[in-house]
Amino acid sequence: MPEPIIELQGVYRDFKKGREVVPVLQDINFAINKLEFLCLVGESGCGKTTTGKIICGLLPPSSGTIHFEGQDIATLRGAEKRRHRRNVQIIHQDPYASLNPTQTVSEMLGYPLLAHRLVNGRRGTDSRVKELLDLVDLTPVEDFIDKYPHQLSGGQRQRVSIARALTTEPSVIVADESVSMVDVSIRIGLLQMMMDLRDRLNVTIVFITHDLALAKYFAWDGRIGVMYLGRLVEIGATQQIIAAPQHPYTKVLLSAIPEPDPQKTRSKQHIQLRSEDIPRLTELPPGCSFHPRCPWYVPGACDVAVPQLAQPAQSLVDTKVACVPLERGDKLVLHDS
Amino acid sequence: MSDLSPETVLRVDDLSIVYRTDRGDVRATNNVSFDLKRGEAMALIGESGSGKTTISLALIRKLPKNAVVTNGHILYQHKNKVQDVLGLSRRQLRGFRWNDCAMVFQGAQNAFNPVLKIRKQFEDTARAHGWTDKDAIRKRALSLLELVRLDPERVYESFPHELSGGMKQRTLLALGVLLNPQVVILDEPTTALDILTQRAIIDVLNDMQRQLLFSIIFISHDLSLAAEMADTVATVYAGEIVEIGGVDDIFYRSLHPYTYGLLTSVPTLDHAQDVLQSIPGSPPNLIAPPSGCKFHPRCSFASDQCQVEGPLLELGRETHLAACWHKDRLLASRKEVV
Amino acid sequence: MLNDQQPLATNRQLPATNMSLMAAQLYDSLLKIYRNYTVRVFLQAIITIWAVMTLTFVLVRLMPGNPVDVLVEQILTNEGISYQEAYERVAASFNIDSDATPLDQYFQWLGDLLRLDLGISITSPGTKVIDEIARFLPWTVFAVGSGLLISFVLGIFAGMPMAYYRGSKLDHILSFFSSFSTGVPNYIWGLLIIIVPGIAWRWFDIGALRGTYDAGLTPGLNAEFILSALEHAALPVFTYVIAILGTWMLSMKSSTTGVLNEDYVNVAEARGLKERTVISSYVGRNAALPLFTQLTISIGFVLSSGVVVEEIFVYWGIGHHLFQSITVRDYTSLQGVVLLLTAAIVFSNLFADLTYGLLDPRVRVSGEK
Repeated sequence: MPEPIIELQGVYRDFKKGREVVPVLQDINFAINKLEFLCLVGESGCGKTTTGKIICGLLPPSSGTIHFEGQDIATLRGAEKRRHRRNVQIIHQDPYASLNPTQTVSEMLGYPLLAHRLVNGRRGTDSRVKELLDLVDLTPVEDFIDKYPHQLSGGQRQRVSIARALTTEPSVIVADESVSMVDVSIRIGLLQMMMDLRDRLNVTIVFITHDLALAKYFAWDGRIGVMYLGRLVEIGATQQIIAAPQHPYTKVLLSAIPEPDPQKTRSKQHIQLRSEDIPRLTELPPGCSFHPRCPWYVPGACDVAVPQLAQPAQSLVDTKVACVPLERGDKLVLHDS
Repeated sequence: MSDLSPETVLRVDDLSIVYRTDRGDVRATNNVSFDLKRGEAMALIGESGSGKTTISLALIRKLPKNAVVTNGHILYQHKNKVQDVLGLSRRQLRGFRWNDCAMVFQGAQNAFNPVLKIRKQFEDTARAHGWTDKDAIRKRALSLLELVRLDPERVYESFPHELSGGMKQRTLLALGVLLNPQVVILDEPTTALDILTQRAIIDVLNDMQRQLLFSIIFISHDLSLAAEMADTVATVYAGEIVEIGGVDDIFYRSLHPYTYGLLTSVPTLDHAQDVLQSIPGSPPNLIAPPSGCKFHPRCSFASDQCQVEGPLLELGRETHLAACWHKDRLLASRKEVV
Repeated sequence: MLNDQQPLATNRQLPATNMSLMAAQLYDSLLKIYRNYTVRVFLQAIITIWAVMTLTFVLVRLMPGNPVDVLVEQILTNEGISYQEAYERVAASFNIDSDATPLDQYFQWLGDLLRLDLGISITSPGTKVIDEIARFLPWTVFAVGSGLLISFVLGIFAGMPMAYYRGSKLDHILSFFSSFSTGVPNYIWGLLIIIVPGIAWRWFDIGALRGTYDAGLTPGLNAEFILSALEHAALPVFTYVIAILGTWMLSMKSSTTGVLNEDYVNVAEARGLKERTVISSYVGRNAALPLFTQLTISIGFVLSSGVVVEEIFVYWGIGHHLFQSITVRDYTSLQGVVLLLTAAIVFSNLFADLTYGLLDPRVRVSGEK
């Protein structure tokens, strides 16, 4: 039985934009299991980054609860709250923006160590910094320890920000688009290093990306959660989702992405959307938010009820989907466009 | 010059470009040569800083001020007339731009003047190239906007900020072919767009090329896009074309370890697990590039020869060229794996 | 049981619900009106002016050692009349009804103000403050307006080449001039102009250029009068131009530099547009946009900063009038002019807010929202 380390229940999050209220997340329910590879994917504005921030406790939900190791994080105070902060770390997308340009690598890693009293004295700090750099494959360590961010390449900077996240010995790391700004040729190396960290340090990694192929590689033995306009629309085992996506949005997404193989990508069937316009979060359509674009839209059903994330009636796999016709056990029928 | 075959619309011949900077000369493009045929779609793939954008900017002579073309020609053939783009006068160059060769830059978000309506920007473009009849411009513009699947009347009378990112990108594509250019350069045409918008742009581009029969040079770091759209693929590394060939040759029978390395570092959506590997090291500093083959510090096939002598781009198979001393070893090693 | 009670409860609440519904509707429609950009900025401007007027009222009346007491004191010592009599006279100038409560006084004063009744000048009894303002203001508006417009146009045309040829000799020379022009206050420029070409070189006769036109001429649309007015305004206008020009040049330079890096300029060049088109409609127009706002805002400030310049050149505009009022402690005139200058600053800001939308389509839309 998988043991959840973080659990989100009925999480909503609104943002105020002028006088408008933007519902960025609506009714998010899922658990992150200990040591699993979980990937959240979706297009811009789907709420994946906000979900990441909420998991880390950087942002409180508007309503709903987040449990970390069985404890509601909203009830944590003082030392417990600090422990949670240390335990769940986030790595940002842009290593340029997230590293202080005036600090050397050793300062960047040393300060949090000292601030959280995780090491003793100068010698302890030095040896821990070297250990961390070694963990993220920045070797020989001496070459990097006194460098400033601008003296490092994009990939190296991202490794430093990973090392910084590791200073507090977290049990969960949220990696938000952590490799998307890195060149193709070194992207996979970074990802593999992060995947190795799980076994070496017993850390659970949640990977947030817009790139489904990358998600598939990262979470091959884990799970993928697909988000659309603030809701989780499908979550299940990666191999299931890639081979047999259930939710219409996931199907369309997978069919739209070109493949790095000329013959495959040219013969790929692209499912046509009914509309290319993405609804604004402030003017979401009634019922399922995807229904105005959905090729399998069922009038009178999809535009009425908001679908709940659940296992479809006659499904043999444990993928959960938020889709009204699937919920009822109907077969999806393609619309004539 | 006269050996240009009638199908060749553009020939880049031994082009070298240097950026003069305070820290030294950056050799951004070195002895680059290729031919672009009529109706052909060519992809320049490579990492950021590889020099692919420099090559494309040189084609319309829009290089930054500190760039110097140190060698080479860019020949453009249209209606049996051959011109060297690098030798055009200011006036000729202005006429050449957009009318013969249009460039759709990366990031269409800011490609339009925010204070002018789309209509005005179409009209400005057409008038600068001698069109006078407003109605004719309008008719052509509306038909192109329809071709890129937009609501033509509405978009034509809009201000840029009233359009979404994907709509702007499509409008820019329509504007790009307004004057019926022979060559359209696309710089990262789908980067920064959402997946479904990317799909729409790719489909629109394919439609447009089928109907208007122009040639495309597109620059991308996205191999999947190249696989889907290109007829020919050129791999650019450290300012050089290290491999060029038909899309199938490049993807299924690559001869250069760098191209192969790129291909094995890209995840797929196949139903099987990917076995991937990054290329070790990072791209070279172009102020002081490595000796010999510039890829040798990162290459697992590198020998002593590679450190000393740079390989030339030469024929590997029919129309498939690669610059590598060890083409055979790469092929042999791949047979073992398969 | 629940079913039985529910309709009852609803019935009882009906009138209340109606009331709150109406209130909500009213609130909604008021909110809608407030959300209208134009209405909102107008309201803000009016509130600001009202606040300044109220503050003036309070200062004049309620502060210890206030101008009323000071004046009464003065009249008492100078003319030897009774306190009551002196107070009445001062109160009349200030538009104060001495019998009324302070609150009534306030509303009466406010009402007078709205009818543009600013009271009567203390030093020249019988002259209404508003009439004096009407006499002096046009000259200031003329001089300051011309100075602003000329410097603005020159600044735009000088700032663009500075950005185009950044780092060149031309840029260095113009940048030096702009910093100098901005750094030296306008009254120093005024004094310099009087001392160097005026007194040392005797290029013009400073004495003859006092006032706003030659004495003895009748104002009207005749060549002699217009020429004379231009002659008298020339030096103040020149001072304004030279003192503000640097600001425009530097603003235009930085604005143009920014626009030159924009994608759309790059694309415009790649489109093979004529250089002239790119410079005017793509670079110039976008670069000048933020400067228009600056221009409208600066109208108010230049009006007030011209006070000393007018005094230096003895140019009979509103600034000169203010200066004179201060010297002779004509509090009512002073109060009138200060109110006017405040209103000018507030309304020039308002004007800037409202007109920017006409120039920039992006603002036009968000304004409607």
